[in-house]
Amino acid sequence: MLISEREAKSVCDTLLRCIKADDAEVLVSSEDFSNLRFAANDFTTNGWREEVSVTVTVWIDKRRGSATASSLERESLQAAVDQAEELARISPVDIEYLPSLGPQSYRDTGGYAEATAHLSVAERAKAIDAIIRECEKQNVVGAGYHRTNATAEAFATKHGNFYHRISTEAALSVTARTRDGGSSGFFLRNHFDIRKLDTARIGHEALRKALEGRNPRALEPGIYPVILEPQAAGDLLRFTFDARMADEGRSPYSAPNGKSKLGEQIFDERINVYSDPWHPELPGSAAAPEGIPATKVYFVRIGVLENLHYSRFWANRQGKEPTPGPVNSILESSAPAINLEEMIRSTPRGLLLSRFWYIRMVDPRTALLTGLTRDGVWFIENGKVQYPVSNLRFNQSLLELLAPGNVEQIGASERISASESYGPGAALVPAIKVKAFHFTSQSEAV
Amino acid sequence: MTYSRRDFLKGASVAAGAMALPSWVLETEAKEAAAIDKHALTDLALKQAKKAGASYADIRINRYRNESISTREQQVQNVSRSQSFGMGIRVLLKGSWGFAASYAVSAESARKVVEQAVQIARANAAFQRKPIRLVDTPKVNGSWKSSFEQDPFEVSTDKKVEFLLGVNEAALKPSGASFVNSSVRFQNEQKFFASTDGSRFEQYIIRSLPAFTVTAVNRSAGDFQTRSNLSGPKTIGYEYLEKYPWSKEAGQAGEEAVAKLKAKPVLPGKYDLLLHPSHLWLTIHESVGHSTELDRALWWEADLAGTSFLTPDKTGKLQFGSRLCNFYADRTQPHGLATVRWDDEGVPAQRWALVKDGVFVDWQTTRDLAPLIGRKSSYGCLHADSWGSVSFPRMPNVSLEPASREVSLEELASSIDNGILIYGNGSWSIDQQRYNFQFGGQTFWEIKNGKVGEMLRDVAYQSRTTDFWGACDGLGGPATYELNGAANDGKGEPPQSNAVSHGCPVTRFRRINVLNTAVRKG
Repeated sequence: MLISEREAKSVCDTLLRCIKADDAEVLVSSEDFSNLRFAANDFTTNGWREEVSVTVTVWIDKRRGSATASSLERESLQAAVDQAEELARISPVDIEYLPSLGPQSYRDTGGYAEATAHLSVAERAKAIDAIIRECEKQNVVGAGYHRTNATAEAFATKHGNFYHRISTEAALSVTARTRDGGSSGFFLRNHFDIRKLDTARIGHEALRKALEGRNPRALEPGIYPVILEPQAAGDLLRFTFDARMADEGRSPYSAPNGKSKLGEQIFDERINVYSDPWHPELPGSAAAPEGIPATKVYFVRIGVLENLHYSRFWANRQGKEPTPGPVNSILESSAPAINLEEMIRSTPRGLLLSRFWYIRMVDPRTALLTGLTRDGVWFIENGKVQYPVSNLRFNQSLLELLAPGNVEQIGASERISASESYGPGAALVPAIKVKAFHFTSQSEAV
Repeated sequence: MTYSRRDFLKGASVAAGAMALPSWVLETEAKEAAAIDKHALTDLALKQAKKAGASYADIRINRYRNESISTREQQVQNVSRSQSFGMGIRVLLKGSWGFAASYAVSAESARKVVEQAVQIARANAAFQRKPIRLVDTPKVNGSWKSSFEQDPFEVSTDKKVEFLLGVNEAALKPSGASFVNSSVRFQNEQKFFASTDGSRFEQYIIRSLPAFTVTAVNRSAGDFQTRSNLSGPKTIGYEYLEKYPWSKEAGQAGEEAVAKLKAKPVLPGKYDLLLHPSHLWLTIHESVGHSTELDRALWWEADLAGTSFLTPDKTGKLQFGSRLCNFYADRTQPHGLATVRWDDEGVPAQRWALVKDGVFVDWQTTRDLAPLIGRKSSYGCLHADSWGSVSFPRMPNVSLEPASREVSLEELASSIDNGILIYGNGSWSIDQQRYNFQFGGQTFWEIKNGKVGEMLRDVAYQSRTTDFWGACDGLGGPATYELNGAANDGKGEPPQSNAVSHGCPVTRFRRINVLNTAVRKG
């Protein structure tokens, strides 16, 4: 059972009363989490968990200490305070210390659904059984993961700030593999409201990709025009717009002579990247990092790097305002959306990519990533999908991928989870067609 | 404002009274934990599970302590401690698993948690096609502590801060070294386990995880390079921070980060590779460790981690590598991150061959996987990363045997005309069946006509698992053998973390495809 706002306030007040330090921030969270896995067309593991966490951070003479406990008992709260204060007393001065925030005003963002928080395990078993039955009918082997979680998060400061939010998320992924192991399809979607999680569609799309991906042909690595489906784009396009790293000269947004690329055209002029706590499809926290009230923030607008994220300390050091975000990630086109069918129709020769796997940073100077395609690659010729293709490894710079001149078409943004991590961090991302994508070797993996 | 190490030490001496040993973590909670009668709670929970119809049940009541200190340059960014205490109960009912867990450790909570686990198992059992079966395992009782000389949770914080600031000072000494981030984490797992098979035991594990990264920035050119620590986490005490020459390595790292800015770009092509254990452990982890996991081979991990190019019918037949390749799984290896006395379902820790004289011969198994390939016992690879996580198959330590006689790095290099020596881990990526991989490193050194020469940059190699291990034609001797590893190997849905080590000697490979990552050509 999640802790309510009243309970959270009471715990925060108790903690703050116990604290003798000059300044303090306390964080109280609770989570109810439920999941079910299936594989080889059968149920495997599952889990239900309730947990709480209390983190106390204090400053004594600007010396910082922090302690985390997993109980709401009065004695445990006191013990966490004692521990944090003891660590603060024996720690060096925190030169990045700034007084904790006073009372702030937060506007509710939503993102909680009772139906998600109170999932029926019997209904869930039935929905998964239906997907397995469909796999059996089509003679493919299904695997997948269904999860729901409900989270309550509250924090308070010694200077009088208090924030509380409850949120939920439900997600389902399905992988379907042909029995000979020659083809695999995958589909994943998530939503804060489980009633908007279309389990039948997720199962159907995974199956369709597996069946259509049979008998793939090997393709020579090289540079190809590609269409990234929203899942593929969502896997790849994760941004960290950190101002300090850029100012210190160690980020793709650093420029020569100690400058950053703020104000420069870094992406195609149709591309906008922003954070919006009140987006109806992707509600974010009303509190940005460090408790600053979140607002809509553009990091990239019409392709221009408009903002970097300044922490309170770094903003203070650089004479800037701290950034009221990000609390979520939205990539959107300024131009009318082009649907996937039209993208394919207008492609003389190229590849359609479903998803990426094992993406790792190779060179942070250019945001050069390596990784592989997975669960569906198709060769397009003369505006038509011709045949499936085996997987390929890529080495691709994100800056070059979205650079002016490389982006051809952009679709409507959809709510996506990065398929490699699954954790929180849903994003709104569109399908994108680009002129050049760099593949460096073949993989026979399915 | 800057805060020097000297300032810190000065401050430390003033505040000496406050700097005695920290009264470790949240002792009130620890007392609470100690006050709980785990055996009575266990009896209650297991009895209730059996009464509800469970054919098997187990309970884990665990306490996890963590201490973390992070610094950059000459400032301390964070000193924090955390603990997590709770219980998880797993039931097998009508051939279906049910797992539930709570932070509340009490009789009332145990009743609720068992009920929840039973409810999930019942809901799923209605649709279970093939009932889960477990192989037998001997009943075990006892307690065990991992090997350490000095419990890091009993070492003062100021000593740890001094260690890190010393590392930073050494790292920034070379001219041109711009930034350094360093950290040390300590983990303690206190694990209680009991099952309806009659097993009941406790384990106490200590791990130490120091790490640093030095960055050299050429501001005028808008260029930067990094060099991270080569030696990794271990199941070991605070003595690791005192015995390994961390400051010396940090100084060398600072010099190498600066040198990387001006190093010669590698020309793409085929090279012989001489791979140091600080690098090769991760290639072993990804290509050998994960491919020999039986759950992957049976498609149980198809939805995320993937499957494996190895399948049960290839056991004892597939040529995995050259005849020099002997890989052992080993949960008994001293200081191994996956070393335990028993796994999380009571199976004793073991050592067994996975690849023998180049041939793939065996799997990593658990009690529910073993019957699926006709085995009568488990190798003990079940693990959960928390009381709140369901236990599932995780990797044991997997290591490459060294040559039987002493062979040095120089001796291995002497037969290389055109090659590269690689230290440390850079980026790594491998496909979902563990065929195709690409690995970078921390430092790269040209080998010409048998001699290690100047530094190279922007190196990564790509290969295919069996081609790569088939190209192995030289092993270093026992003196070159090192154990490295990762404390955060991710797998599963929801993702869980596993700590695992991999030992190996310096090893030579012939004609591997190398690319230049700066120009992005394969």
